[in-house]
Amino acid sequence: MAIPNFFYKGNRVLLRELTKTDFKLRYQGSALGYLWALLRPLMMFAILYIVFAKLLKFGGDIPHYPVYLLVGTTFWSFFTECTSQGIQAIVNRGDLIRKVCFPKYIVVVSSTLTAVINVLINLIVIAVFALIDGITPTWTWFLVPVLLFELYCFSLGIAFLLGAINVKYRDITSIWDVCIQALFYAVPIIYPIAMVATSSVAAAKVILLNPIAQVIQDLRYCIVTKETITTWSFVGEEHFIWKFVPIILVIFMLSLGSWYFRKKSKKFAEEI
Amino acid sequence: MAKKSTTIQANTYSNNPVVISVKNLHKNFKLPTERAWGLKQAIFNRLKGVKGYKELKVLNGISFDVHQNEFIGIVGRNGSGKSTLLKTLAKIYFPESGSVEISGTLVPFIELGVGFNPDLTARENVYLNGALLGFSNKEMDAMYDEIVDFAELREFMDQKLKNFSSGMNVRLAFSIAIRAKGDILLLDEVLAVGDAAFQQKCADYFASIKGHQTVILVTHSMDSVRKYCTRAILIEKGKITLDSDPETVANAYQKLWS
Repeated sequence: MAIPNFFYKGNRVLLRELTKTDFKLRYQGSALGYLWALLRPLMMFAILYIVFAKLLKFGGDIPHYPVYLLVGTTFWSFFTECTSQGIQAIVNRGDLIRKVCFPKYIVVVSSTLTAVINVLINLIVIAVFALIDGITPTWTWFLVPVLLFELYCFSLGIAFLLGAINVKYRDITSIWDVCIQALFYAVPIIYPIAMVATSSVAAAKVILLNPIAQVIQDLRYCIVTKETITTWSFVGEEHFIWKFVPIILVIFMLSLGSWYFRKKSKKFAEEI
Repeated sequence: MAKKSTTIQANTYSNNPVVISVKNLHKNFKLPTERAWGLKQAIFNRLKGVKGYKELKVLNGISFDVHQNEFIGIVGRNGSGKSTLLKTLAKIYFPESGSVEISGTLVPFIELGVGFNPDLTARENVYLNGALLGFSNKEMDAMYDEIVDFAELREFMDQKLKNFSSGMNVRLAFSIAIRAKGDILLLDEVLAVGDAAFQQKCADYFASIKGHQTVILVTHSMDSVRKYCTRAILIEKGKITLDSDPETVANAYQKLWS
């Protein structure tokens, strides 16, 4: 049982120790160390900003576009880091799983928590950028942790499901790499969703039903500008129930992932 | 034939409470017959109606009780199922049928230094290793000094493990194993480590806990069985063929191939 187990002290200690180790070792041996946790997403942002904002002139009419883009890239990085690390976790920690008995979900959660720590550091950078760019903080900034939690649950669900399959079929790692590439273009990170809406409203609606898109648009709404198109505002009142599709998908993914992971975890020690 | 009969000798420990009760344990492994790895082969096998693996009975109806403070040696040839039994006791493997009941905390050492990371300091590794065995930091604080003293590595504890010699490494791991405060200790083939002086220290230690702590030891060394164990179990092809005093079992083991 995943939830009650968490309150067992030994499990919390192990989770903390493994997370600490993961975080400590992530940038081991690099000259800049933890600074990479900041530099990597910033560099990715810089590339996308130069290519899409400066050269291709995307997002011209969106206020505070650089911050708008930074929010997108930061949380996209979080999603990719979370899922790729989480999917690999069981296989990477095979030595432990074959030799000691502990709840297996701990290795998945601990490896994804590094991504959570990274995104929290990056949130500070976003706040600084936002203030420099002249955005006035509003109470909606406090909704960011809720949205982060939603995205984390979604990532964790994927990590549990694919991580469990990955034990037997390592192909998952490669398949997921490709999926990530495809998903990147299916989520309005570099292009404004309004651009899609002008050619096809239906396509824009479909894109916004994706929980990742919903979270990123909501984050932009909360942090950057109230002019952001969100799933909630874009899906019309006549399809009221559709507004809940992203959150239902998140709950579904997490339940499916945990259920499958739990079912398969008994055999991990033998199959790795 | 004497070795086929299962006799349980009444010994001084049989009046102690039962701490591990193993009943009719069965464990099978699926061995792939051809390369059944990867999606393609799996689909192929499914289409052809081939199972793609054959079942190997590793544990075939194992039953025994362990009483408190018994030092039990489990012996048998390679592939007889000793390690699988130990892993099943440690709940790393789940049996197909049968049950394992354990009262008290069980500290398993299937391998020394599980999770040891060369880039962490010795101190960090001790705590990480402890967490893996289910000990909180507070419990580890209490054991820490004893572990370090037994390993005789106090001045090196803030060094990264990659700077340790393999002997120092194994001494640290071994010290955690025998200083970890659990009710039951599971050890797999880990008796002789380090230099002669350290080996002597370990030997003394095992002699001293004989009769004071519940230990299950998997070993190929009949000397160890004779010296430390209060009872021994011989396993052949996943079955207990002899469960008796150490001397009888050690002799039977040595007769297996002579």
